[in-house]
Amino acid sequence: MGKKPEWFKGIFPALVTPFSDGAAIDEAAYRSLIRHVLPDVNGIVPVGTTGEFVYLTEEEKHKAIDIALDEAAGHVPVVAGTGCASTRETVALTQYAKDAGAHAALVLAPYYLKPTYNEVYEHYEAVNKVGLPIILYNIPQCAGTHFKWWTAEGMAYLDNVVGIKDSSGDMPFLMALFEKIKGHVSIFCGHDEIVMAALAAGADGAILASANLIPDIWQEIYAAVRSGDLAKAQNLQARIQKLVRIVVRRGSVQAVKEGLCMMGLDVGNARLPVMPGGAFRREDREELRAQLEALGKIPPQGVQYELSSKTVHTQVPATPQTPRRISGFALKVGEGFAGPPFSELAHVDLLLGERGGPVGKAIEQALAVPHPGHEVRIVSERPRTLLVPTITVRSEKQAEHIYVCASGGVVKAIEASVADGFLPADALEDLVMIANVFVHPAAANRTRIEMNNYKAMRAAIRKAIEGRPTLEELLYERQAARHPFRYAP
Amino acid sequence: MKNLAFQARGVLPALVTPFTADEAIDEPGLRGLVQYVLPHVDGLVPCGTTGEFIYLTADEQRQVIEIVIDEVAGRVPVVAGACAPSTRQAVQLARAAQEAGASGCLVVTPYFLHPSDKGIYQHFYEVASAVDIPIILYNIPQVVDAYLPRTVVEDLADIPNIVALKDSSGNLTYTMEVLEMTDGRLDVLIGHDEVVLPALAGGCSGMILASAQVFPEIWQGVYSAVQTGDMDTARALQSSVQKLARIFCRHGGGVAVKAALNMMGVKVGKPRRPLRGQGGVLINEVRAEIRLELEKLGKIAKPVVKLPVREEPLVERFASLGLPVEVLQSNSVRLGTAVAGDGAEKVQLDLVAGPKDGPVGESYALQLTYPRHGHEALTAILEPNLTVRPATLIIPTVKLKNLRQANMIYGPTQAAVGKAIVDGLASGLIPQPAFKDEVMMVQVTIHPQALNRHRLYCNACRAMGEALQNAYTGE
Repeated sequence: MGKKPEWFKGIFPALVTPFSDGAAIDEAAYRSLIRHVLPDVNGIVPVGTTGEFVYLTEEEKHKAIDIALDEAAGHVPVVAGTGCASTRETVALTQYAKDAGAHAALVLAPYYLKPTYNEVYEHYEAVNKVGLPIILYNIPQCAGTHFKWWTAEGMAYLDNVVGIKDSSGDMPFLMALFEKIKGHVSIFCGHDEIVMAALAAGADGAILASANLIPDIWQEIYAAVRSGDLAKAQNLQARIQKLVRIVVRRGSVQAVKEGLCMMGLDVGNARLPVMPGGAFRREDREELRAQLEALGKIPPQGVQYELSSKTVHTQVPATPQTPRRISGFALKVGEGFAGPPFSELAHVDLLLGERGGPVGKAIEQALAVPHPGHEVRIVSERPRTLLVPTITVRSEKQAEHIYVCASGGVVKAIEASVADGFLPADALEDLVMIANVFVHPAAANRTRIEMNNYKAMRAAIRKAIEGRPTLEELLYERQAARHPFRYAP
Repeated sequence: MKNLAFQARGVLPALVTPFTADEAIDEPGLRGLVQYVLPHVDGLVPCGTTGEFIYLTADEQRQVIEIVIDEVAGRVPVVAGACAPSTRQAVQLARAAQEAGASGCLVVTPYFLHPSDKGIYQHFYEVASAVDIPIILYNIPQVVDAYLPRTVVEDLADIPNIVALKDSSGNLTYTMEVLEMTDGRLDVLIGHDEVVLPALAGGCSGMILASAQVFPEIWQGVYSAVQTGDMDTARALQSSVQKLARIFCRHGGGVAVKAALNMMGVKVGKPRRPLRGQGGVLINEVRAEIRLELEKLGKIAKPVVKLPVREEPLVERFASLGLPVEVLQSNSVRLGTAVAGDGAEKVQLDLVAGPKDGPVGESYALQLTYPRHGHEALTAILEPNLTVRPATLIIPTVKLKNLRQANMIYGPTQAAVGKAIVDGLASGLIPQPAFKDEVMMVQVTIHPQALNRHRLYCNACRAMGEALQNAYTGE
């Protein structure tokens, strides 16, 4: 007989846990986050993997569960993450969630020490006795152990188990679950990259990190699959694929948190040892930002550029880091790095300034003198932009890589920056740029050279104008920064 | 021993296969290679992984084996690779090797389709049954993508002409397990250059190595030192080649070995496509690193290079950046200089800082538009996408002739300059307004043969700290 609860389907965000500067749980931000997702979700999940449960004290977990229940106020069900490494702690936390009024508990497989499957079974058997509906949770990326379908099947028959969340992304495993236990318990997908496929194949819903950022789009995908409009669901999933790939593979918690911050919801950073610029690399942040912009999640705002001759007003997709008044256009320095792959990585050293200033003078002087091996070229007139190869061009192939592929990327980045307002129409005659581009002599993949130079140039323009990295960012990374070429092979 | 003709002992190089420019087998090159290693080795192994067997036809393998046997002229045994994914092919290769006069065969775990333990057992059983010469089992999970299962090895050890296992995994828990479970029924030869010493100490009876054709005499030294229990000597020798061993094992394999031999004048040509001689698995930076390591071992001549110390007054050192003495004496410009360290890792830094909208700013912009070949400027970063401020250009004064030399600048030196600047911001040495309004240029002078990245980093960090102190406090 099936145990699928009527309420357990659809889109559930795995909520991040906001921290304030002092690293305590930021209750106000937590409540804002819940209010932000509430209109578009079927339930919420506090204290999951994305909620950094593993960095929270027992007391903090209680607090997060309490806030979630209070803010949801019965509008949507709350599934509390209660998985811990030991059975004793897991039972205690599940009991707490039950007493607090949670609808269910999401219980991950015991991690770190690797219990065998019979020990895992007995772990869930003990949690089952608490009496709260429980959802099995498979996340081998973190737990280090991957459920076998026969373990999942056995545990699904414990009387309080009502569902399973699989975050492995292992589609054949999910298909085996459908074969074995579909209809008996709810089956949820927890891997953002395959949600549409999982729903189409029969999943009841999804518990997702990226649903903090884009609950509305996930809801549309869910609805499209439910109504049988697979073409629409495919298109929607394709639109967010890059965003969710960054979230899943590039630092999850920190990616979601920085995304929310860029959208204006200040949820702070993840706790140490997770760091900004770590697994969620700075180039990923630029990319995530661009994706959020494309989805309309970071709307344009007014910014004013104080040039020496005039003030220019522009609209740019600003984040809280973007200054609203920007001056110092004599000379601005920006840097952009984008890869992998290694051979085709792009590194742009950018100078941006006013025509009459040092940058403008350097451009005219450079054009007046021949540069054997380093031929410079004007690649754009508005704004006037000089392309300079960083290292000596020794072959026709290298020349093609620089003057066709990298140059193509640079030009596209300029066009994109004109379109998004960072290079305002009213300033295109006044501003000039020098893009010093590096292409490795061993590069081969021409498409990646262009793509990486596009990303690097676009990031360099934004960083020059926004004055990034900031003093705070530099000081924060004073000890931890790791230069990739500092070490011996 | 089961077969007196061949003993799995001592040092056996896994020979590369020399090719001509049009990818044909280079017979004179192969003979030259054999002559180069012969005085120092206990046997030779053509047509192994390093020999690019996977790119050779069966006829070519036969040809290579025949040339090697002919050149060796009975002085040491030749163990021929008989490596193939199918049993049928492996049997044919082993028979051909026996006919050609090989003393034994090296047979790799069947790859690509992943057969079961039963299939793997049957594969070796059939190859062993097809010939009379000794067989060496070959575990190399890095390319086979699977281990030769230990339980299969245990059973194979009972077959009379299966005499040894070559273990290239580098996983000593596997090596020790095989030694324990075969209990003398099988000799184990270490095939991973980075762990030769511990493997020999743990009970391996010899080695088949790619690097044993580059410096066979050093491996002979390690082998005999371990035999006599002189572990200090063995450690010192292993340590002297550790970096090269790592490069050969992890940063280029046979391609790196070919590059090293070519540098030493043992001409073996390039690998076959799709591998590149350099710029592929062997990146250009690492290729340059091999040269310095070979210089250190005395395998190639070491050019004598003196570090050009800049001794003219500090205000005269920036002329090549278009900053004449008059400009540098102005109030808004800051100068600093410092030297740190000695020997090949000595670092000299000359620093100029000034407002963006003045002559220093103009020179800064010009440096990025007018890269001088070998002296290309780069922006100082803590790491990619973390540019330091005040924005700082690093300009090498000694001409960069290869990517390794460049790597010393844009790796350790750049990281050190960046770190010193951020330290200066943290301590308040560099004032807040300078963060936004100034730029800096640092001319760095480092030795072209600088090799120790950590020492270079520490020296550059110290020198930059002192130069900043100079510039911002006048001390």
